[in-house]
Amino acid sequence: MSLVEPIRVVSLPGRSGLAGRLLRRPSAVAGLALLGAIVGMAAGADVLYPADPLDMVGTPFLWPGADPDFPLGTDMLGRDIAAGIFHGARMSLLIGAVATLVSLLIGVGVGAVAGFFGGRTDHALMHVTELFQTIPPFLFAIVIVAVLQPNVVTVVLAIGLTSWPSLARLVRAEVLRLRDGEMVQASIAIGLSDARIILAHVLPNVLAPIVVSASIMVASAILTESSLAFLGLGDPNIVSWGSMVGSGREVLRTDWYVATVPGLAIVAAVLALNLLGDGLNDALDPRQNRR
Amino acid sequence: MTAHASSPLLLRAASAAAVAATLLTGGALAQTPQNGGTLTAIVQPEPVTLTSAINTAAPTGFISGNVFDGLVDYGTDLTPRPALAERWEVAPDGLSITFHLRKGVTWHDGHPFTAADVKWTLENVWKTIHPRNQATFGRVTRVETPDDHTVILRLSEPSLAILSSVNSNGAQILPKHLYEGTDILNNPHNLKPVGTGAYVFKEWSKGNHVILERNPNYWDKGKPHIDRIVFKVIPDAAARAAALEKGDVQYAVFSPVPLKDAERLGKLPNLKIETRGYEWISPWLFFDLNVDTPYLKDVRVRHAIAHALDRKAIANVVWYGFAKPAISPVPSTLGAFHDATVPQYEFDPKKAEALLDEAGFKRGADGVRFTLTHDFIPYGDDYKRTGEYLKQALKKVGIEVTIRSQDTAAFTKRVYGDRDFDISSAWFAAFSDPQVGVTRAYWSGWIGKNTPWTNGSGYRSAEVDALIAKAQGLARQEDRIATFKQLQQTVQSDLPSIPLVELKFFTVHAASLKDVVTRGDQIYGSLKDAWFDKAPTN
Repeated sequence: MSLVEPIRVVSLPGRSGLAGRLLRRPSAVAGLALLGAIVGMAAGADVLYPADPLDMVGTPFLWPGADPDFPLGTDMLGRDIAAGIFHGARMSLLIGAVATLVSLLIGVGVGAVAGFFGGRTDHALMHVTELFQTIPPFLFAIVIVAVLQPNVVTVVLAIGLTSWPSLARLVRAEVLRLRDGEMVQASIAIGLSDARIILAHVLPNVLAPIVVSASIMVASAILTESSLAFLGLGDPNIVSWGSMVGSGREVLRTDWYVATVPGLAIVAAVLALNLLGDGLNDALDPRQNRR
Repeated sequence: MTAHASSPLLLRAASAAAVAATLLTGGALAQTPQNGGTLTAIVQPEPVTLTSAINTAAPTGFISGNVFDGLVDYGTDLTPRPALAERWEVAPDGLSITFHLRKGVTWHDGHPFTAADVKWTLENVWKTIHPRNQATFGRVTRVETPDDHTVILRLSEPSLAILSSVNSNGAQILPKHLYEGTDILNNPHNLKPVGTGAYVFKEWSKGNHVILERNPNYWDKGKPHIDRIVFKVIPDAAARAAALEKGDVQYAVFSPVPLKDAERLGKLPNLKIETRGYEWISPWLFFDLNVDTPYLKDVRVRHAIAHALDRKAIANVVWYGFAKPAISPVPSTLGAFHDATVPQYEFDPKKAEALLDEAGFKRGADGVRFTLTHDFIPYGDDYKRTGEYLKQALKKVGIEVTIRSQDTAAFTKRVYGDRDFDISSAWFAAFSDPQVGVTRAYWSGWIGKNTPWTNGSGYRSAEVDALIAKAQGLARQEDRIATFKQLQQTVQSDLPSIPLVELKFFTVHAASLKDVVTRGDQIYGSLKDAWFDKAPTN
């Protein structure tokens, strides 16, 4: 054990060090602030807009600013767009996070097992991964949602099931690198079980690239959900930013704000997550530490 | 002072005179049609076949009406006008109908069109395969063809509905010499039709277009005016709007662009919005309530749901005014058949709540009485919005609604086959006689047969079944009207299905395209009268 510990500490920067490095980057700070605001919106949705955001509360097609009661206007059925944005933040973040979790479980699992055991296992798993990679992920997600019925669970599953292959390859490459390193060889030598080695010693050392990809994956999951909803494959019972853009599409030429306001929310969320991802990438990069 | 006061009046009088003058000269009628040009139209969605005789879907009818003629077509007042039949007589006892066919008509392959074609199609297609005509021609016991140009239908009971459904869509005549002895449903000519109509089938490129060309030997001399019609498949509504706006497409039907866009397009100088041409189909939108489910089998719950819905809001907000609140499943456009005295369910959420309480479904601690599912007809955003409205309207009276979406095949199987739903939405064409379009929604014989667009609610009423049977055999129109009024009274008090609105479909066409609507069944009829005063350059 004592052989192993020091290496791990060197590889993964301490928490305060990471936060410090992150906060030194203006783009990362901007990303964090923006994401914080969106999470705040999601958390405050029930307090600020306690009513059902799908409720028809006002005159249809009120432009933003036309009525102080509806600062962002109302859509074609008279639903409050501001209420939709707040409640939609919750749904979009939730979908993004859960879909990423699904994708992480599959991607990290497949990558770690393939990289650690190598040989036939690696061969088989990588062939499966390649099979998934040959199908464009968005088309694949459309097929899954269209075959099953569109609802939150199938949308999350579809996104999760289609976005893991690149992560699996990334994790496998990292694990392959570590596998022949002294740390893992030493762990094998002292007789630790494979599962323990993977979970306790290999994965913590590939955490950095996983964290960076995860932040980008949440962003792309939000985008994918929006695209699915835009194509009419969202859950009609909930309000998400994507479903708001989707329903506003048909009035794009006349009342463009209906689709644009939630569209801007998506832009903000995706931008925030990308900035954060970039910041994390820099902060977690050991070469940057030495500068 | 007087001058000031009178000049607007004068102006108004002058403009009224101008309007009257235009009306008198009939606008386009005053101009001589010009020949030539290619018309590009949109067909949406792409049809699966091109013969209406075996498939009643709207896109099939839209193209097929140009390739085939009917025995008649219908004027804007829905009276039959001669087409392949030059005249017809109904015997005084109502037990026979004689059609005198036009002479010298040939199929597109040169074969003469005769009474044998009519007889063969009636016996082998209308009475056996066609979903609506099995009822319409059910009373025909024998078809006689004393000569090549006379067809006599012998009826067991009078059947007045026949004359309201013998255009090229309602009763399309197939060429016997190409169909006899073949597997009719899989005959290759279903995909490359041979008709007698103004346009000859040229090619069908799947996923892209269908091309028809002018029939030079058409019996209606001088027609058609346009050389070629290209029906393009454009699945995206925004792309359809753009194609129309740009002038790439000059004709599109069945509300081809988002309703909100229609207002904008209608104001453009190169486009016109037309709501005529749909009179024959008289569409109405409704919710089917599955009466076999634990909550909806209670008539009080069905009444409560009707009271919870504001049909004016559905017409004006959800359908942007392209609809009119409906009070009966027989639309008001059917004139005498429509019964305005049926039980009314005015918008009254309090009454709805009282009815639900009375039925024993009190609000729970969370304010919810029970949960229902809603499957909307997957024909576009308008139907989805109607479903969203239902969800919100029922939530106000304590009923939670879960909306489900699926494709058309899954939808029809769920509603008309598996019956695995609570509330579904659909629109039906009532046609000009309720026997043709309305009774299918209530006749118990259709339940669970997986025949799309029939009885979705699962409503079984011996009384209504008897009324439907009775109306089929009545000789006098007044008696049929009385029977159908009784039917409306019964189904509107049992309320297995809630009529919501009478839909107003619209057509978008180029301003240069003239005489594009000349009849009440134009949407399923021929474009033989249409012409360009300035042909498109593409």
